[in-house]
Amino acid sequence: MALQEMNFTFQAKGDYESIPEEWSHTGVVGSGDLEILLRHEDLGGKVEAKIVTPVKGFDDIWEKVLSKFVESNKVGNVVIEINDNNSTPFIVSMRLKQALAEAKGGIL
Amino acid sequence: MMSWKELQNTSFYESPARERAIGLVDEGTFKELIAPIDKFTSPHLPVLGEAVCFDDGVVTGVGKIGTRPVFVISQEGRFIGGAVGEVGGAKISGLFQVALQLYDKIVDKYPNDYESRIPAVVFSFETGGVRLHESNAGLLAHAEIMEWIQKCRNKVPVISLVGSKVGCFGGMGFVCVATDLVIMSELGRIGLTGPEVIEEVMGKKEFDSTDRALIYRTTGGKHKYIMRDCAFLVDDSIEAFRNQIEEVLKMPYSEIASYRSIGSLELVEEQLSLVGLSTELHPKDSKDVWRYFGNENADQIQDLYYEDFMNSVKIRPRGGR
Repeated sequence: MALQEMNFTFQAKGDYESIPEEWSHTGVVGSGDLEILLRHEDLGGKVEAKIVTPVKGFDDIWEKVLSKFVESNKVGNVVIEINDNNSTPFIVSMRLKQALAEAKGGIL
Repeated sequence: MMSWKELQNTSFYESPARERAIGLVDEGTFKELIAPIDKFTSPHLPVLGEAVCFDDGVVTGVGKIGTRPVFVISQEGRFIGGAVGEVGGAKISGLFQVALQLYDKIVDKYPNDYESRIPAVVFSFETGGVRLHESNAGLLAHAEIMEWIQKCRNKVPVISLVGSKVGCFGGMGFVCVATDLVIMSELGRIGLTGPEVIEEVMGKKEFDSTDRALIYRTTGGKHKYIMRDCAFLVDDSIEAFRNQIEEVLKMPYSEIASYRSIGSLELVEEQLSLVGLSTELHPKDSKDVWRYFGNENADQIQDLYYEDFMNSVKIRPRGGR
């Protein structure tokens, strides 16, 4: 019954970039949606991710989606915290890109 | 997120809580208090396996409109229908508390010239009332918020805004009309028991919750405006709500308080006379009441554009009937 909590650590290959501000928040925990809190922290280039979700048994997929996000966007020194409410992998990767764009001050 | 200028022309109905909060005050002045980074999430939801949210479904903060500090509370309807739980409720109560503390400080510092500086509280409702997962804590939060609204009386103006997707239902319906005045758009809805609950308990004959026209006739902005349950009816944009707040803040407090619907013997008598009217009139539909108050075009009212409605509508006279 209780909420699932997952923790992952990633390391982008080659160059990486953190977010300009101390933290940035995107999204609403609606049905099938999630919110993302990105926080700048010196982790020697690593990315730490914490996911809280009611859904059980999809740890591998979460890890793949997040690792792909970190690799393709060259993210480093960032803590990603996610509150999820049953979103699909596609929504997750879309929201992650949106969160990063907003953290960098970009307007979508 | 959109820029402040883009937000102004955005639909209030469709805007998420944080965008509403930012757009309602002057550009660049909004400062969120207990922001997502502080991570005050509900302690009750994880036990039930329900998703949590960093701001617990309510955005609280402070900004400025002209010279006035404005405390903004904005509820997020997409998170558990905007229902009020323990943490979100405490955030709301806390904001009222801070507003009153600021009021006292300002009165202390400018004893002869405080009227143009006193803070206001603006409450943008999008809620179904108590969060049932946190039953007692949620109810207690409602009671606390009501108490703070009473403590703000004759000091800090409290303004309700209703024009969001979920509307304002359940216990929060009471809270909403207990403030100094209510600003609505035609898409806003205020009620106690929501349409689907009425249908479930009393049957489809009593209230058909799939009949949107019926729902808007009974709980919507135009009806509430005719009944004086809302003081001002505005267009559906963040800017329209913002401009109306600005107008309200220019009024002397006595004028703001004249829009109250509870809080004195006269107002209780006024409400009771309306109960009396309903037993005499036996209205079958809101249209019967609209006609009673002189709106011969009751059948057309729902289809009227905002300007045409405002130019032709006759609202209930003060004092009851």
